[in-house]
Amino acid sequence: MMEALGRVVATERKPNTPHEFHFWTSLDCPVGIGTIVRVEGAHPVEGKIPRIYGIVVEGFSYTDLQTPMHDVLSHDGRPSNATFASSERAEIRLYTAAVLRQIPEEPLQPVPMGEVFLAEEADVATALRMDSYLKDGANTGIPVGVYRAGATDSVIYLDADFLLGPEAAHLNISGMSGLATKTSAVEWLLASLFAHFPASKGSVAAVCFNVKGPDLCFLDQPGKLEDRDRELYEKMGVKPGPFENVTYFAPYTAKGFGLNTLRSNEALLHNVKPLTWGLREVLQYAEVLLNKDDIDAKADALIDFITERVVDRRFDQDPYLSREHTVQSFGDLENWFKDLLRGLEKANSESWRTHHIATIRKVRNRLSNISTRCAGLVTDTGDVSDLPFGSFEDRAVYVVDVATLEEDAQDLIFARIVSKLREHLERRDLGVKHLVVFVDELNKYAPGDAPETYVRKMLLDIAERGRYLGLVLFSAQQFRSQVHRRVVGNSGTALYGRMDGDELATPGYSVLSPATRTKLATLEKGQLMVRHPHFTQPIFVRFPRPAVMQGRDGAERFPQASDVTLEHALYRSLRTVDPAVSMAWVSTLVALYDESELIAARNAALVSKPSNVRAFFESRLRKKIPAQPAFSGGLAPRESIPARSLPDDDPYGL
Amino acid sequence: MGHRAGVISSSDRSEKMGWPNSVHEARRFILGQLPGSAAVEGGSADAERYGRADEPAVLVEPSLTEGKSFRAIDVRSPDEPWLQSGFSGFLDGTQQISIVNQQKGVPIVWAKISAAVRVRVDRRLLAWHANAPSVSRRFYVPFRYLGAVDSGLAGDSRFVDTASPKRTETIPSRHPAALMEAALQLIQNDRERLELDLAEAWCARDDGILYMDGSITGSTIASSSKKVVGVIKTHRRLYADGDAFQVLVGLRAGERSSMFRVAPRTRSSVASWYVRIRETAGHDSLFGLVRVESAEDIEPARADEISRWIIAEGSPLSLPDGRWDKMAYGIRDTEEFLRAIS
Repeated sequence: MMEALGRVVATERKPNTPHEFHFWTSLDCPVGIGTIVRVEGAHPVEGKIPRIYGIVVEGFSYTDLQTPMHDVLSHDGRPSNATFASSERAEIRLYTAAVLRQIPEEPLQPVPMGEVFLAEEADVATALRMDSYLKDGANTGIPVGVYRAGATDSVIYLDADFLLGPEAAHLNISGMSGLATKTSAVEWLLASLFAHFPASKGSVAAVCFNVKGPDLCFLDQPGKLEDRDRELYEKMGVKPGPFENVTYFAPYTAKGFGLNTLRSNEALLHNVKPLTWGLREVLQYAEVLLNKDDIDAKADALIDFITERVVDRRFDQDPYLSREHTVQSFGDLENWFKDLLRGLEKANSESWRTHHIATIRKVRNRLSNISTRCAGLVTDTGDVSDLPFGSFEDRAVYVVDVATLEEDAQDLIFARIVSKLREHLERRDLGVKHLVVFVDELNKYAPGDAPETYVRKMLLDIAERGRYLGLVLFSAQQFRSQVHRRVVGNSGTALYGRMDGDELATPGYSVLSPATRTKLATLEKGQLMVRHPHFTQPIFVRFPRPAVMQGRDGAERFPQASDVTLEHALYRSLRTVDPAVSMAWVSTLVALYDESELIAARNAALVSKPSNVRAFFESRLRKKIPAQPAFSGGLAPRESIPARSLPDDDPYGL
Repeated sequence: MGHRAGVISSSDRSEKMGWPNSVHEARRFILGQLPGSAAVEGGSADAERYGRADEPAVLVEPSLTEGKSFRAIDVRSPDEPWLQSGFSGFLDGTQQISIVNQQKGVPIVWAKISAAVRVRVDRRLLAWHANAPSVSRRFYVPFRYLGAVDSGLAGDSRFVDTASPKRTETIPSRHPAALMEAALQLIQNDRERLELDLAEAWCARDDGILYMDGSITGSTIASSSKKVVGVIKTHRRLYADGDAFQVLVGLRAGERSSMFRVAPRTRSSVASWYVRIRETAGHDSLFGLVRVESAEDIEPARADEISRWIIAEGSPLSLPDGRWDKMAYGIRDTEEFLRAIS
């Protein structure tokens, strides 16, 4: 039987309530803010000895000193003299604990006097109501970390039904940059989720948007772990290794030679795929890129017309057009606009099919601009390289690297991918049943006090309705108070790393005790405060370092490829499809063809992944007869014909 | 005659109630035992108004055992700027006195007296587990003036007859103050007995030196033991008549007086001396002054050492107790402990 470490106390001025109680301990007791304790009542209620579980939320310490002045007088005003006093003053450690659970739960009474014990592993499970989902038959626990106090080392589980739905869903993590280890926490939690998500609940995958630096660029590479991390992995039943199935997606750079990602080292290109969209893909989300001034009702109507009636259709028999058009790319669209405007000007007409010429010019300008603003992502040729919607794999991570892109391109990528994920999940044909979408920097994408944007609307939509579809948002930000309330409010689970003092002073944290806030402001790396629907109070846990290479380490070990020539870019990318591709072959083609033609062929080859890359690639190029070297092929050299001499009387001869 | 639900008759109550633990319970208990008595409301402070058991303030010529004149001796050592204490335990007693009932003008006093030893371990004071604290809860009643009472009460050892020739030298008059004085005297005696029992237990079971609050002359064992030192804070009797008085009031902090012999008529004789713990500047002449009692065969050097220990016990201050100038922190801690448990 464990020894009692404290006793419940209550006075008229500081009474116990059904939700809070006070207890004292010895001075050397291993109790602190966040410690879970158990109270054994002394008298039965309806035949049962009440048992109360609580978590320490406040601590007090004082002596029998009446005023500080007495201590000064005691030691002649010299602090060092205090060490010579024969006796130390009587001192108390008095704690306030918030009730986690009372057993029996009815009648709900104030916490009775009784002995206080440190909660053991089974107590922690009961106190946090984890027993309901860890029991045989339920087993939906996802380890989030380990709670430690004294000799107790207890795994804290989240309920998968409340993390990925359908009961509740979503997870939000807040904390200071660099110290809160937000990205590490998400990486760890994804590993834990993949290891423990019950097979009976179906498949699960994750799409992570890498929005800054190389944070998520090396998820498939092993990271440095210490022994204590391995112990935590073992305790929580998670394999301490990198993710086994990771695919990266990144648009091309503006030049189009290489991919616009920090994971551009040649050694890692095998699972990096281009992300390119054509006209059709972009037009559906034109709203993302065009501001409200751009898309008035008239412009909107024209864009709709183009999307519905022009794109991907044979457009002929129009009196203003000089020829037939089939618009499949931004290049085709530009040609269509040019032809149409020329026809209107020639006919001196002010409108075309009710659309005023000024509106047409405006829409042309804005749409043409998209391919410039999102160069590398949006192709003029219409080639599409996308996430594998429809064939997502179980326990796979799909990282979309948008870290180095312009804001417009980031928004477009986010909006389109999330929309597509949603569409597929609605149709149940994504390939997996549950999908986690991780978005960092939510302060930027879903701010609470900024004008409505398409991206924010999408995030709100996921937060409010995603759980019914299996679309779950894992989000992170530095300042929770500045994120839209409905986004964070709909997160069933919230994690907090080390917090900034100013942030903790905002009203959202007023439900926490001053001591809990202080602890939050001083959390070490690897510590988190967890709020979860089953936990009536926040719990502090420790989680292991993620077993994947950290962004900074990865950037040092796999430095980003420097700007490459077209030859090298083609060679590198085509070799990922066919290792037999030679540099000499690439060099020959580069000498013959235009840059844009080669890039288009390369993009097509990467999308199609043909069995014979060389043949496919060459088939996409216009036929050209390469220059034959003189005297080659065993032909005899032609006899040289001497130039005829000029007549002597040639008046133009010099 | 029936009973109202939830109301217990006096006879039932006395049967069902255990021995009272509080003033309120004591009041109800007596109402059950002495149906003609009337409850008296009020706290223990009121009891002090009725009478005082203090002895008169007198000056006594000291019977010197050290040197030929009563003088001040500086006990401080230049090698030891900060004094260390060698006491390992502190003994003190408390009393809580209340007039709980009165019958025909006769006060019925209930007293809770207690005594405990606190030992010092790593500078922290803890209960002495070798001997549990003593707590006594008794009624002090002058049966002579109550008329016919239940003979069982008079024979109960928890009822002390304050007007019995066996317990008092002179039988007090019916004057309530005289009865109160008699009760107070008996209570103080009982308290001293509890304290001395603990001091004797200390002599038998512990090897350390015990700081006892009060005189040790009441115990032959304690007064002859080198393990118990009595420290008296009240000075109704000052052993400093004549020239000695000027020396005494002139003692400075860190000084002790010459040793003298204290030999009460009915008690054991001890060696005694005065120690000034704190400077008197701005205070009365008895500020910070205590009288120390020890076994008679004590050497002057040992008296110096014990004096230094007593001075060292002046830190930390025992404020907010009004006697903080003389009281060791260990004694205050013992009093607080007794208040908590009794």
